[in-house]
Amino acid sequence: MDALVRALIPYVGRVCGAIALDRGDDAMQETFIAVLRNIRSLREPAALHGWVRRIAVREAIRAARGGHEEPVDPGALAGGAVAPIDVATVVDVRSTLAGLAPEQRAILVLRDVDGLSEAQAADLLGVPEGTVKSRLHRARSAFTRKWEA
Amino acid sequence: MIGPDRLWPVASLGPIARARTLGASIPGAAWAEGILDAPYATTWPWIADLEESVPRFDSQVRKVRVLERSTRDGAPRLRITASTFGVAVPFDVRLENGFCLMQARARIYLVVMAAEPHDAGARTRFFHLEAVPLPGTRLLHNHLQRVVDADFANLARLASQGF
Repeated sequence: MDALVRALIPYVGRVCGAIALDRGDDAMQETFIAVLRNIRSLREPAALHGWVRRIAVREAIRAARGGHEEPVDPGALAGGAVAPIDVATVVDVRSTLAGLAPEQRAILVLRDVDGLSEAQAADLLGVPEGTVKSRLHRARSAFTRKWEA
Repeated sequence: MIGPDRLWPVASLGPIARARTLGASIPGAAWAEGILDAPYATTWPWIADLEESVPRFDSQVRKVRVLERSTRDGAPRLRITASTFGVAVPFDVRLENGFCLMQARARIYLVVMAAEPHDAGARTRFFHLEAVPLPGTRLLHNHLQRVVDADFANLARLASQGF
């Protein structure tokens, strides 16, 4: 089991770090506990990566919601203004991510780090594809604004 | 794409968290976690010297012998025997900075020790786990927990005395 944990640490670290930010380490621990407790339920070894991704995203969003950096009402994500972004003089991915809601960060990670399609990201997060598109647009706009500032 | 992958924040799983994940996922595992009143810089090297440390704090182990040292997957590996109740039990050990995984050959027994600096390294957060990872061994948990608690108390006393 420890070998499995070591093999998954880099990937889970990226997912949990980008979505849960300061609570990424907690999310990572909870992800591995869920993975190890339920690994026997995974019948198809080839599905491991996608299964771990699903757990990591869920735990990271949950950890982020428990934090103090949630800037946006998730209910407002389907339509409305771009999330407020901290003003920074240096391009800083972390501070830009911190200005987004956990759900937006999750979509960024799934699309831009993991390379999932919008349909795959929508399925994993349990939201309509249109919601993924609009959240992604706003998240990318936040980065563009930051980089062009 | 947002930018180079290295810009994304990356979470980490420290030795203690890694040990906790194992503890939470092994049915019947017993563990103890707490602060040792000794600097990390002296605690971990002492712990990592298994021949010296384990017989002094583990009441069930009389002697540890290192039979072989090697390196695999970037970490030191040891083959040891731990003599308990007159029987020399062979273990495979993975020893990293702050993390030690000891697995009995037939996978009938598992020991994990993990440590991290506490109070900027002035003290040490320590985690100790023992488990019999076999079906139907949950009943052993209470006994195992008493053993682990006693070992941790021994370790805390030794730490406060400078080992």
